[in-house]
Amino acid sequence: MEHADADPKVLDQPWRIWATAAIASVAAAGLLLGMIVLPVVQGRNAGISAFDAICRALGIQAGSPAMPQPPSAAQAIPVTQVAWSAELIRDLEQADRRNGEAIASQTCFACHGERGFAPDNRNPNLAGQSALAIYKQLHDYRSDSRFNDQMTPIAKALDDRQLIDVTAYYAYLTTGAIDPTTAQVGDEEIVRLVERGDQSRNLPACSSCHGRRAGGPTETPSLVGQNEGYLIAQLQLYRSGERKNDIYHRMRSVARQLTDREIARLARYYSTTLRQ
Amino acid sequence: MASTEREILRTEIGWAIVVAGVVGVIMVAIVYAGLAMHINPPSNIEHIDPKTLHLTGEFTEPNLGTKVEANGQVTVRMVATQFAFVPQCLVVPEGKPVTLRFSTPDVLHGILVTGTNVNTMIVPGYVSQVHTVFRKTGDLLMPCHEYCGLGHSQMWATVRVVPEAEFRPGADGKVSCDAR
Repeated sequence: MEHADADPKVLDQPWRIWATAAIASVAAAGLLLGMIVLPVVQGRNAGISAFDAICRALGIQAGSPAMPQPPSAAQAIPVTQVAWSAELIRDLEQADRRNGEAIASQTCFACHGERGFAPDNRNPNLAGQSALAIYKQLHDYRSDSRFNDQMTPIAKALDDRQLIDVTAYYAYLTTGAIDPTTAQVGDEEIVRLVERGDQSRNLPACSSCHGRRAGGPTETPSLVGQNEGYLIAQLQLYRSGERKNDIYHRMRSVARQLTDREIARLARYYSTTLRQ
Repeated sequence: MASTEREILRTEIGWAIVVAGVVGVIMVAIVYAGLAMHINPPSNIEHIDPKTLHLTGEFTEPNLGTKVEANGQVTVRMVATQFAFVPQCLVVPEGKPVTLRFSTPDVLHGILVTGTNVNTMIVPGYVSQVHTVFRKTGDLLMPCHEYCGLGHSQMWATVRVVPEAEFRPGADGKVSCDAR
C-alpha cells in the first residue's frame, strides 16, 4: 500500500474538492440551461422578451396566459344545473330519511314501490341506488334538463329540502338481490362489452362506471338489477338525443354507437345477470 | 479485486465518467427537445372551477370544438371526462397556428397527438393550453395518456388535419367533423 500510514483526512481531501467541483459545475450548467438558455429561446416563439422569460422560468413573474384569449360568447345550455359542492354532498349525508319516507309514501310508492322496487318494469328500481344519482335526476326533472310526463310535475312540487330527504330515503333502502333461480348467464359478446368495452368504436366498458363503487363520474348510477324496460327506454332516448342531461355527452356518445340488438341484450344483462 | 490505491482510483474514475456521460446525454436530450422540437413544460397557469365547468364560461357543451375567433385565431376547446373526449373528433387547418385549450371536470387526464409536439396533462382546476402548427394532413390519433380510471384504455379522440382550402368555418365560426 502506497499511503498506508497517511492520515485518512489528507487522503480524502482531493476527492472532496473534485466531487464538490463536479456537482457544482453540473448544477451551474443546469441553471444556465433551464433558467436562461431554454426560456430565452422558447420565449421568442411565444413573443415574450428575454427578461420576462427568465423571470417566468424563475417563478418571479406569473406566466398567465402567454396569449390573451378572447372571451367566450357562448350561452350555457343547461344539460344539468347540479354542481357537486361539498355542502350539497354533506346535506345528502345528513338528510332526514323519515321525512323522506313520509313524502315518498304520498308521491313515489305507486310507481317505484314501497321498498324501492318498481312493480312495472318500465319504471326504475330505486332501492339502494347511489344518493348522488337519484338527487341529480330529481334535480334535472325540476330544472327541465330531463323530461317525463309523470316525473317533471312531481319533482317540481318538491322543495330543496324535500328533494334531499326523498333521495336519502331511497338510497338507504336495501339493494335488491337478483333471484338466482331466474338469473341468466350473460352471453359472451355482451359480457365483453360490459367488462372490456369496444376500443374500435370508442366505447368504454359499461362496468368502468356502472358497477357498484366502480369509479367514473360522481353521479353515475349503479345498474345492477335495474329494470329491463327502463334501461331499454333510456338507452334509446340517449341514442336519439331526446334525453340529454348526461353532462358532456357521456351517455349520448355511447348510446349513439349501440345497435338495437345490443341495447336489448345489455338491458337483459343488467336486469338478470348475477355476476357483476 | 482492486486492492491498491491506484486500482481503486481507476475504477472510481471509470464509473464517474459513466455517470457524467448519462447525465450529459439526458441534458442534451432535454435541450434538443426544448429547442429543436419545441417540447417544453407548460408555462400557462389558468384556474377554472371543475365543479361548475359545465355551467358557466368557456367549457360549456355548445362552446366545445374548433372555432375561428373574430380576429382569425383558430381555437380548439375540448373537455376530457371519464371516459371520453368532448368532442370525440376535431378539425384543424394545416399549416396555421392553432391554440388548443383543455380542461376536465373530474380527474387527471393527459393527451398527446401522435406525430406532433402536442402533449400535455389535463388537471382538474386548471386550463391546459398548447399552441401548435399541424404540418401534415390526415386523421391523427389522440389518446388519453394519463391513467384516469377503468375506462382509460378506451378513451381517445381523432384530430383531423385538413388543407387550409378545405377548412371552412360556418357562420358562427365553428368547424366540426360531422359537418364535413
